[in-house]
Amino acid sequence: MTFRQARWDEPDVWDLAPSPVREAPPEIPGVPDRLRRKELVRWPELAELEVVRHYTRLSQMNFGIDTAPYALGSCTMKYNPKVSEMLARRPGAAGLHPYQPEATAQGALELLWRLERILAKVTGLPEVSLQAGAGAHGEWAALLMVRAYFRDRNELEHRTEVLLPDTAHGTNPASAMMAGFSTREIRSKDGCVDLDALRAAVSDRTACFMLTNPNTAGLFESDILEIAETVHGAGGMLYYDGANLNAILGVTHPGRMGFDVAHLNLHKTFATPHGGGGPGAGVLAAGESLAPYLPVPRVVKSGRKFRFDYDRPKSIGKIKTAYGNFGLDLRAFAFALTHGEEGLNHVARRAVLNSNYLASKMGQFLPRPFRSLVKHEFLLSGAPLKARGVRTLDLAKRLLDEGVHAPTIYFPSLVEESLMIELPETESKRELDQYIAAFERAVTDTAENLHAAPRSLAVGRIDEVRAAREPRLSWKDLRSAAAAKVEAPASVGPAR
Amino acid sequence: MRHEKPPPSGDGTLEYVCCALGPTTEPINPLLRSVALRGAVVPRWIPNEPGEEEALLEALQISSVEQLFRDVPKKARIGRLGVGPGREEPDVVCEVDRLLDRNKPLAKFASFLGGRISNRYSPAAVDAMVSRSEFYTSYTPFQPEASQGMLRVLFEFQSLWVELTGLDVANASLYDGATAAGEALLFCRRLHEGHRFLVPASLPWEEKSVLENYASGPGLRLEEVPFDERTGRLDLDFVRRALSAGDVFGLLADIPNGFGHLDEGVADLKGILGDVPLVVAADPLSLSVLEPPGRYGADVVVGEGQGFGIAPSFGGPLLGLFACRAEHVRSAPGRIVGATQDVEGRPAFALTLQTREQHIRRSRATSNICTNQSLMALAFTVYATVVGPRGLATLQASIAEKARTLASALGGIEGLKAPRFDAPYLGEFTVEVGRGTGEEFLDRLRRKKILGGIPLGDPRSRATRGAERILVAATDATTDREIQKYARAARAAIAAVGRSE
Repeated sequence: MTFRQARWDEPDVWDLAPSPVREAPPEIPGVPDRLRRKELVRWPELAELEVVRHYTRLSQMNFGIDTAPYALGSCTMKYNPKVSEMLARRPGAAGLHPYQPEATAQGALELLWRLERILAKVTGLPEVSLQAGAGAHGEWAALLMVRAYFRDRNELEHRTEVLLPDTAHGTNPASAMMAGFSTREIRSKDGCVDLDALRAAVSDRTACFMLTNPNTAGLFESDILEIAETVHGAGGMLYYDGANLNAILGVTHPGRMGFDVAHLNLHKTFATPHGGGGPGAGVLAAGESLAPYLPVPRVVKSGRKFRFDYDRPKSIGKIKTAYGNFGLDLRAFAFALTHGEEGLNHVARRAVLNSNYLASKMGQFLPRPFRSLVKHEFLLSGAPLKARGVRTLDLAKRLLDEGVHAPTIYFPSLVEESLMIELPETESKRELDQYIAAFERAVTDTAENLHAAPRSLAVGRIDEVRAAREPRLSWKDLRSAAAAKVEAPASVGPAR
Repeated sequence: MRHEKPPPSGDGTLEYVCCALGPTTEPINPLLRSVALRGAVVPRWIPNEPGEEEALLEALQISSVEQLFRDVPKKARIGRLGVGPGREEPDVVCEVDRLLDRNKPLAKFASFLGGRISNRYSPAAVDAMVSRSEFYTSYTPFQPEASQGMLRVLFEFQSLWVELTGLDVANASLYDGATAAGEALLFCRRLHEGHRFLVPASLPWEEKSVLENYASGPGLRLEEVPFDERTGRLDLDFVRRALSAGDVFGLLADIPNGFGHLDEGVADLKGILGDVPLVVAADPLSLSVLEPPGRYGADVVVGEGQGFGIAPSFGGPLLGLFACRAEHVRSAPGRIVGATQDVEGRPAFALTLQTREQHIRRSRATSNICTNQSLMALAFTVYATVVGPRGLATLQASIAEKARTLASALGGIEGLKAPRFDAPYLGEFTVEVGRGTGEEFLDRLRRKKILGGIPLGDPRSRATRGAERILVAATDATTDREIQKYARAARAAIAAVGRSE
C-alpha cells in the first residue's frame, strides 16, 4: 500500500476573501465612545460553503486515530467510540447551563456522581472530583491539596520538596513548581526508581513523591510497596500520575499500591477524544487524609436527590469554571458502562499483550533498554542508527510516509535517541503486524531516504528551527513580514 | 455464552437495568460484543477474532496473559473492582438517555442565564467541522508534517484572537477563561516584581477562587479593588493608593465586568499602572464592537471563548483565550503555533518556542499545561468565520438591544432594581431584588419555566449565599414574548415574597 496524504494548496482563511476593515460596527446606545471599536474586526467574510470546504480540506491534511494507528507512547491513543460522540451531543447534555438550578439537572448530577463512584473503585481511593481540566491541571490541584494538608499540620514550613524520578513526565516538575514546591530528581536504576536513592533522598523536607506506575519506560515499578513505605515513613505523601493507568485496570490500583492521591486522564484510559491537543478531562482521587481538601463543589446524594455541596471548609476552593468537562465525563461514563468489570480488566490485558507483542517484534530492529517484560508501552533506542548518520527523528518522519503515526521520540531522556511506543487494546493483530512491517521498512531504508522523509504528506520536512528563530505567530506577523518585503532566505537542512 | 447475573455493586453505580435490553440474561449480541479468552465478555471495540489472542500469546511463547503481569507483586493485586458487568451498546444509550431525560435543558425554559457561559445558537456547520474525526481523534501536533490541518487551524485561531484583542501574540488555548486569568496572573509575576495582584471586588466568586489558587503556590496575594456602589466602576483612587504602597505586580479588570456592565475606567488603567502589567478579561463577542484592549494599554487579554460555537454542556469543555505583547512571548504559557516552511520552501506550520514548555523546561517552564483545548479553538474559529466580522458585530448589537428591552421591562417593577448599576451594558446586567433573596425570586420564576438569572453570591458562605443580586442575560434566542413573560412573572414573584414576609 502506498500512502499519500491530501496535499491541498489551500490558502489561509484570510486569503480566501477580503476583510471589510474600513467599516464601523453598528452603534450600541450607551457605549462610551472611548470603548467603541472604530472598525470591524479584521477577518474575511465568506460563504458558508467556502468555510466548510476550507476546514474540510485542512482536516484532510491531518492524521487522526480514525485514519491511522497512532503509536505515541504515554498518550494511549485508543479508539474513541462513536456512541459517546452521539450521546454527548444530546440536548439533555449539550444544552445544560452549569448555573441552572440543581433540580433541573438531576440526571447530569447523577451521572457525575456515578462516574465518581466508578472511578473511586478503579483507583481504590474513596473520594473523587472531576473538576480538573486535564492531567497537568489535576497534578497542580493535588499538590495544592498536599500543601493545604501540611499547612494544617504546621509542617509546610519544612515540607517544601517534591521528589520525582528522572523518568517523570515534564508536567510533574512544572506542576510542583506552580504549586510552590522545589523539585528533586531521583535517579533510576534499570529503568525503575532506585530504592536506595529514594531512601537517601526522603527526609522531613519531603512533601510528596510523584510517580507514574507503570512508568514512562513502560515498566511496572515492582518495588511500589517499599516505595510507599519509604515515602510514608518520612511523613510524605505519595502521588499517582495516572497517565499510564490503562495497563493496570482491574489488576491493581493506586489505593492498593499505597498512593494517597491520584490524577487520571479520561482522554487516555477512558477513550475521550484528544481533539488535536485537547480538551482533556482530569480526575482527582484522594484517600482519607487528603479528601477534605478536594475542590468544591462536590457532588453528593441526599436521599434520592443529587446536589452540589459547597460546605467543605478545608477545600482548596475552585480550580476551574463550573465542575469540569462534563461533555467528556459523559463519554467516559459510557465507556465505563460498556466495559464493566470484565471489559475494563480486559482493556489492561489486551493493551499489555499488544505492547509485549510489538516489543518482541520491533526489538529485532533496534535495541530495547531494560528488562523485556513491559506494560502498555515500551522503549527502543535509535542510537545504533547514528553510525549511518540517521537519527530517531529521521526514523519518525520516515514512519509517517508509511501512513502510520510515529512514536513519542526523545522521551524519556534516560535512553539515548529514545522511541516510546504504545498501541493500545483497540488495535487488532493485523494492525500491529502492519505497523511492525512499516517499522521494518523504515528502519532498514537508506540513510538518504530517511533524511528525505516525509515525502508523502501535505508538506515535506519542516524547518522548526526557523519557526523559533524568526517567530511568525499570527496573520498580523505575516502582514508585517509581507509589508517589510523580507526576502525569504533559502531553506536550510532538515530540522534537528 | 450467557452473561452471569452480576453481584449487586451495593451503591448503585452500575446496577440499574433499563429498557427491554436488560443485560443480565440475554445472549450476547455478536454485533456488539464478543467473548475473549477466559470467557470475558468484551465490547467489539477491542478486536477479538477467534484465535487472535492465542496467536499473540504464541508469538510471545507464553500460555496466558496473566504471565505478563508477574511483575505486579501479589500484595499489590486487587480482586474485583466491583463496578458491575459490561453492557450492550443500545443498553448504554438507553441508560445515558434515561439520565439525560431527567435534565431539563435550557430549551425547555425561557432562559436568561449567562455569566461567562452562553447558550447562543451555533450554526450546524461548526459542529460538522468539529466532528471531522481527522481533527477530533488527533493528538497534539508533535509531528507537524502529519498534522498541518490542525496546526493551520490553531494558527488561524491565534490570529483571530490577536485581531480581536489588538495584541500581538496569542497562544493555542488554555482550559477556560478562569484558568487563563490564573495563567495571566503568573505571567504578570514573570514580567514584574511584587506580591500583590489587584482584582475587581465584583469579579465572580468562582474566578476569584481560581485566581487565589494560582496565586497561592508562589506565595502571591489577591487584593480586591472596591467598586462604586452606583455605577459598579472600579475605584481608581484605590488603585493609585495600592500602587504607591508598592509590591503590586499586576491588575486584572474585566469587560464586561462581573455585573455585566462596561466600566469606562478600564481605558484609564494603564495610565495609572505605568509599567505594572494590565490584564483585561474580555468577552470575545463584545470585542466585535468594543475597542481592542491592546489599544488602551492591556498587556494581556484573556477570555472565555465558549460562546463561539461551543455548547454550554453543563460547563465544559470550555475555551481559555490568552494574548500578550510580542516582547513578552517567551514568558507566555501554553502551546504556540508558528509559521515556517518545509525543505522545499512551501509554507508550513509547527509548534514553536517550545523551550518555554514543561516537556522541555520541566520545573522552569512557564506553565505546566500540556493538554489544552484545541478542538474548542477549532469551533471558535469556524464559528467566527461562518458568522463573519459583520455578523459578529450585528449579533452583539441585536443582543444588546434585547437586553435593553428586558431592562426596561423589568425596570418598572416595584421591588426590583433593574439594572442595579447606572452603567452601560451589552447583553447582561445586574438586577437587585428588593424583597427576599435572589434565590427565592429565581425559584418562583422557575415554577413559571423561566430561568431568570444567576445569583451573584458565593455559595460557600452563608452570608452571601442569599445575596439579592442576580445577573440577567439576554441571548440571541430571547424573544419579546419571553421578555414580557419574565416581567409578568417577576412582578408576581416580588409581590408574593412581599406577602410571605
